Order: sequence, then structure tokens, then C-alpha cells
Amino acid sequence: MTHYSPRPPRTAAWVVVTILLVVAVAGTLAVPIYARSTPALVNFPFFYWYQLLWVPVVGVLAGIAYLIIRPGDADAAAAAERGDPAPPGVSPDDAEGAI
Amino acid sequence: MSHVNAVSFTILVVLFAVVTIVGFAAARWRRAESLLHLNEWGLGGRGFGTFVSWFVLGGDLYTAYTFIAVPALVYGTGAAGFFALSYTIMVFPIVFVFAPRLWSVSRVHNYVTPADFVRGRYGSRGLALAIAATGILATMPYIALQLVGMQAVLTVMGVGGTSNAFLKDLPLLIAFVILAGYTFASGLRAPALIAFVKDALVYLMIIVAVIYIPIRLGGWGHIFHAAGTHLAKTNPKTGKPNGSLILPSAGEWAYATLALGSALALFMYPHAITGVFAARRRSVIRRNMALLPAYSLVLGLVALLGYMALAAPGVPAAVKAHGANAQLSVPFLFQQMFPSWFAGVGFAAIVIGALVPAAIMSIAAANLFTRNVYLEFFNRGASSANQTRVSQFVSLLIKAGALVFVFALPKTFSINLQLLGGIWILQTFPSIVAGLYTRWFHRWALVIGWAAAMIFGTIAAYRVPSPGSPGSHFGGSTDVAPLIGHTVYIAITALVINLVLALVLTFVFRALRLPGGADETLPAHYLADPEPSSAGPVPVGAGAEPT
Repeated sequence: MTHYSPRPPRTAAWVVVTILLVVAVAGTLAVPIYARSTPALVNFPFFYWYQLLWVPVVGVLAGIAYLIIRPGDADAAAAAERGDPAPPGVSPDDAEGAI
Repeated sequence: MSHVNAVSFTILVVLFAVVTIVGFAAARWRRAESLLHLNEWGLGGRGFGTFVSWFVLGGDLYTAYTFIAVPALVYGTGAAGFFALSYTIMVFPIVFVFAPRLWSVSRVHNYVTPADFVRGRYGSRGLALAIAATGILATMPYIALQLVGMQAVLTVMGVGGTSNAFLKDLPLLIAFVILAGYTFASGLRAPALIAFVKDALVYLMIIVAVIYIPIRLGGWGHIFHAAGTHLAKTNPKTGKPNGSLILPSAGEWAYATLALGSALALFMYPHAITGVFAARRRSVIRRNMALLPAYSLVLGLVALLGYMALAAPGVPAAVKAHGANAQLSVPFLFQQMFPSWFAGVGFAAIVIGALVPAAIMSIAAANLFTRNVYLEFFNRGASSANQTRVSQFVSLLIKAGALVFVFALPKTFSINLQLLGGIWILQTFPSIVAGLYTRWFHRWALVIGWAAAMIFGTIAAYRVPSPGSPGSHFGGSTDVAPLIGHTVYIAITALVINLVLALVLTFVFRALRLPGGADETLPAHYLADPEPSSAGPVPVGAGAEPT
């Protein structure tokens, strides 16, 4: 799933990754949406099971983000194209250099 | 000491002995040609893959904070203590973004500490010194928290509970000396290898605890109900309820800012960065950001132990009888709920869970001193062996410094030791993280922003009294923020001051054309992924090593 044509997909990939990570952080930063006791789940008030549920969700979101920007040959080419004097083994993930 | 449970105590001593042997034997693990190089002693050869890194980072980041301080806060205040779960949920997506860049540039230039990076990026010894000093200072209360955690277990076991001041602290002192011994001898390899033992014990302990204890206490419904009843009671010292099962809306700002501030701060700590630098490849870090939440689940479940302690008959009374020290709630819970042999396993998990991070913290703080104070200001020509020797001895001093925090600060809630460290360490965020992306900020603007925020943060924390004892100091880490009028984590307020000053002064200093300092890094260095075989520094720029 990481076979992209050399350049345009990198930006698209980073947009997707950014959205995934923002969602991951916002999930528990937005306290008012879960500071309540109902609906309860097997005797756990909402406040508790919601946050515990976010733990695996964040793991999955970060995992997807990792797979999307996993190093691939196309990316190294993109870095070389930009003319960066690359030291040995430039890693192409976040090769666009900014997020 | 007649009331010491022999079975629990024996299990703890045996497991501690195993860990001690592992710690000293670790010097031979992945044997290097010479341990007398900071890359070896201080970073375990910079060769840890995904698997070992997961244990090292997990062992490093989940500490007595997780096992003692968080459940103590939940025991004492209820829902407000759960900010720690939110914190460990949001930390990994945040670190996912910038940690690989820090790893790459540090690998290319052979940086050993975050301050090495700042030195190379901004060409400023002063800014690097500020970063190093903050790291050392902030680490000490965090190590102190580990000692408080161990002390809680020993107190509940009845070990060292005598009135004799020397005997009282003797067991802690013995554990401390042994920890110092194998850290000195084996460096980062010791806690890395011990982390395997620690994690096996921790996962075993928590899985048994969350299944077995609720069955004995009559189910989760009963636990939440009993905890809610306890929390609703009026605290005689403050005249208010102890806490609540659901966060009141007045507490939402504090909750969110404590979580966010702690998450932003965590990977500014030298010990966390040491864990990152020890990784073999760049991809190891991002892969771990997806795998480390497994520990956050443990933290969430351990936090719930605070409620189990409230619901368990006998535990609140036992805690009250020991000076209402909430830190004792989880050890007492184990003692009362588990058969004594398994209580011993649980105690060992907590003690070893505190030893691993304490070792890594002292190594990381020692490296900061060696690289950014000793090498920079006292002995510019120090050899690798000489640097390692200095780090070994300073790692002992750092642990002694932590003892000062143990005795000097109030311990109503030991979590405040970590939160105080967080106020300080978060002020290095602009220099380190912004520096990974841009050289726009002026080095002196960063220094002034840092200094103002450090002063503000320290004074603000000093002025917070302990609940129910007006006039006391360093009793909490939240305060009403100017302008917005909500109670927030002081670290966040200080960070805003820091950023605003750095921003405005950068405009001013640039307009005045003040010298910006040399930058030895290149854009590609932030993306580099050198093969592990190229252990030596890649010859680019001047390098941090004096030549």
C-alpha cells in the first residue's frame, strides 16, 4: 500500500497522517465530550470506558500513519530530486520536510 | 519489625537479587569493544531494534508515576487523577511527528543529549547550557518520585518502619546503592535488560489485579459505587468533598492542560530522549509510537486500582492510620487482597518498575552534565573514556540530588514531583522542537523566553499551597491563568509566556541584526537514516566533538 508514484502522493499522504494524528490527540483533549457518566458500559461510567477505548484507537491510528509514510523507494527519489545533499541512507518519510 | 510478612518479603528479596545479577551482567550484553564511550555506556551502543526499544521506552516512561502516584491521586481525588490516562494517550501521536527528526540529526552528528543538538543547531553554548541545566534540574524530582514509590512499598511491608531514623531509611538506601552500582558498571544496558523482568512482572501483576480483585470485591459496579461514596465525603481539612467520580466542569481546563502539558513535556526529558537515541534505526521510533500505547492501557488499569483501594474493606482505614498517605493505597490493596506470595510479586513489580527509570534518568542527566557543562566549559579536550568516567560519577551525584527533593517537598500527592519537573522541562520545548523545523527563532530570544518562563513557573508553583494547609509551598501544579481565568497547569501558562517572548524578541533581534550563530546541520540531516554499522560520526559540519 506504499507504492506511490514519485511526488504528488507525499503531500496527500501527509494530509491524511496529519488528520489521523490530530484526531488521536483531540479524542481526549476535548474533555467536555466525555466528562459524563452515561451511557455506562458493563458498570463502567462513560468517562472511564471512553478513555480506555481511546488507547487502542490511538495505537491503530498511529499504526496506520506509520504504514502510510513508511519508507519507500519513490520517496528517496523525491528527496534526491530536491537536491538535498543526502548523507548515507536518507529516510524518505516526511521527506517534504515539514508538517 | 515482627509484623513483616516473611513470604512477601522473601519473594521481593529474591526478585530484587535476580534483577541485581541481571544489572551487573548486562555489561556483557551485546558486548562492545569498550564500555568507556558515551555511545556505549550512555546509549547502549545506539543499537536497539523495535523489540528492545519497546521494552526500554516502556520501562523508561512508565514509572512509579504510573504505579504509585497516579493511583494515589485517583484514590484521593477521583476523576481528576485520570488526566494521566489522557496524557499517555495523546503523547504518542505528538511524538510520532518530531522524534524521528531528532533521532536522525542526532545520529548524523553523534549527539548524545538534547542540549548537544541545540548547541549544534543554534551555535550557542549558553542556550545549550540552559537546556542541559533544565534537564538535570527537572530530572531530580522525577527520580525523587521513584524513591517515594519504593518507600511506599517498603512502608506497607513493615520494612524500615521503625522509629530509628537510620533503620527507617536503610532498606531504601540499600536498594539505592545497588541501583547506583550496576548503573555505574553497565550503563544503559543494565536498565534495558532489567526492563524485560520489570515488564513481565508488571503485566502479570496488572492482569491478575484487574480480574481477581473485582471478583473479590463484588464487581466493578460495586467498586465505582463504593469509590463514589468515599469521594463524596467531606474532607475535614478543606471542608469540601474529597473528589468526584465524574469530572466537574470546573475541573475541565485543569484536566486538559495537565494532560496536554505532560504530553508535550515527556519527550523533552533527557531520559525519554535517551530512549529515542538508543534506537538502531529511524523507523524503530515511529513503529514504537504505535506499539507503546499497550503500556497506556496498563496505566489506565493501574489508575483504577485507586478505586479498588477505596472500595476494599480495610484499605482506607490502613491508609488513614499511616498519616493518610495516599501513596500507600495500592501497596495496602495488594497486601489485603492478594495471598502473601503474590503480594510479594506485586511489590517487586512496583520496586523494579521504579528502579529501571531511576537508572535511565540518572544516566541521561549525567550525560547532560558531561557533554554540555564539563566538556563545554571545563575540559574541551576530554577523551571519550574521560567523558564516560565523569558521567559514571555524576550519575551517582544526580541520585543524591534526588534525595533532597524527597525530603524537602510535601508528599500529599507525589505526582506533584513529576508535575513540577514538567513545568521546568516544558520550557525547553521551543528550542528543541521548533529547532527541528526552523532556524527562524533567534538564540538569545529563546534564552530570554526560557529564563522568564522558568522564573514564572517556579514562583507560581512555589505559591501553590497543599490542600488544607494554607501557607505551605509547592503543594500543587495548577493555578488560575491570567486573561482566561480558568485553572490550568502552570507549565502551559509558562510555555505561552516563553513562546510569546521568543517570538517578539526574535523580531527585535533580527531587526537589530544581532549575530544568529552558526548552524552545523543541513536539511537532509533531519531525514537521514544511517546504517547502524557507521557507528562513528558522519563527518559533516564541525560536529559537537571538540577537535
